[in-house]
Amino acid sequence: MTSDERDPATAEKATQGHWVRPQTEMQREQTRVFIESLEEDCQPYWEMVEVGDVLSRELCLTPELVVMYADGVEDFNPWYEAWKMNVWRIPGVSPFGSAIVPPLLLSHFILSVQFDHTKPFSIGSIHTFHDSEIIAPIYVGATVQIKTEAIEKFVKRDRRYVRHRAEVYDLSDGEVKFRETRDILSL
Amino acid sequence: MKENLGEQVTGETPVGWRLQTIKKRAVIQLMGSRVWGRFNPNHWDVDYAKSTGLSAPIQTGEMTSAYISEMCVNHFGRHFFCGSRVACKYINATVADEVISVHGVISQKLVVEEGWRFVVDVWCENEVGDKKTVGTVEVTVPTADKDEIQ
Repeated sequence: MTSDERDPATAEKATQGHWVRPQTEMQREQTRVFIESLEEDCQPYWEMVEVGDVLSRELCLTPELVVMYADGVEDFNPWYEAWKMNVWRIPGVSPFGSAIVPPLLLSHFILSVQFDHTKPFSIGSIHTFHDSEIIAPIYVGATVQIKTEAIEKFVKRDRRYVRHRAEVYDLSDGEVKFRETRDILSL
Repeated sequence: MKENLGEQVTGETPVGWRLQTIKKRAVIQLMGSRVWGRFNPNHWDVDYAKSTGLSAPIQTGEMTSAYISEMCVNHFGRHFFCGSRVACKYINATVADEVISVHGVISQKLVVEEGWRFVVDVWCENEVGDKKTVGTVEVTVPTADKDEIQ
C-alpha cells in the first residue's frame, strides 16, 4: 500500500480538509499574496550549481532559534532550553554544562547555505539523503560558520542529483563540530 | 539535573535490542512554521501542493531525521553528541496528517578502543507501515574509565 492509498478514514478526513488550516477569505488572500511573492524566476537547482561552488555563512544559535526548531518537531528535551517562558534567556542545563543545540539542528540549516540565498529559491528540489557526523556538542548561543561545497553532480535512474559536503565550525574555538554529505534531487 | 530519558544503552546491551518507538503526527501548522517549511508552500499549502502534483503538503525530510535523533538521545543520552553518525535516505514523502512512528534496532556492536560502537538500523513509517525514511546510526558508548563526562 502506498501513501496515496491511506486507510479510508484518513483519506476521508483529508478530503474534507479536517486537518487543513481553517481560513477566512482575507486569510486566503494573504496566503495567495505570500505564495506569489515566493514565485520568482526559479531555475532548476542542477543549473544553478557548478561542482566546486563554495558558499559560507555564519549563524548565531540563539536560544529563540533553538526552541523554535525543537518546537517544530515537538522535541521537548530540557537540554536544549536556554529560553523559558516568563524567565526568558537562561543558561540552561545539559550533561555538558549549559544548554546545547539538538544533534541535527545544523543539518537543517545547511540547506540555507547550499542554496545561494542571494538567488531565487529553487522550488522543486527534494532533499533525498544525508550522512551526518555529530562530532561534538555545540552550546546554545554559539555562532557557527557553515561552509558548503558542491562536490558532485550525477544522474541516477534518469534523475539528477547534486551532492554537497558541509562543515560547521564553532567560532568560539574554531573547531569543526558537525560535518555532512547531502544529496538534493533536482528537476 | 533529573534526566527524563529512556533505558540507556550500555556495554551490556545486546544486538537485536529495540529502541523505544516514538510517534509524531505530521501537523500542517508545524510543517509550515518559519524555521521549517514556510519558505516552500509545498510544505503547508494544500492548493499549491496540488498544483505541483502532490496529493497534499509534504514534510521536509529533515523533520523525520530530527525524530530519529530524538529517539537516539532517549537511549544514548550524552554519547549521541560525541562522535556519532546519522545516515538517512528519504525514500517516501511524509504527507500532512500522517502519524509517523520511529523505530530502531541495534544491528551491530563493535569493540573499539573507547568502549563499544553500536550500529542501529533506524526507520520511520506511517500508520500502514509505508517506510518514509530509512538509515543507520552509529554511536560510541565508552567504558566507565574512558567516559569523560560522568
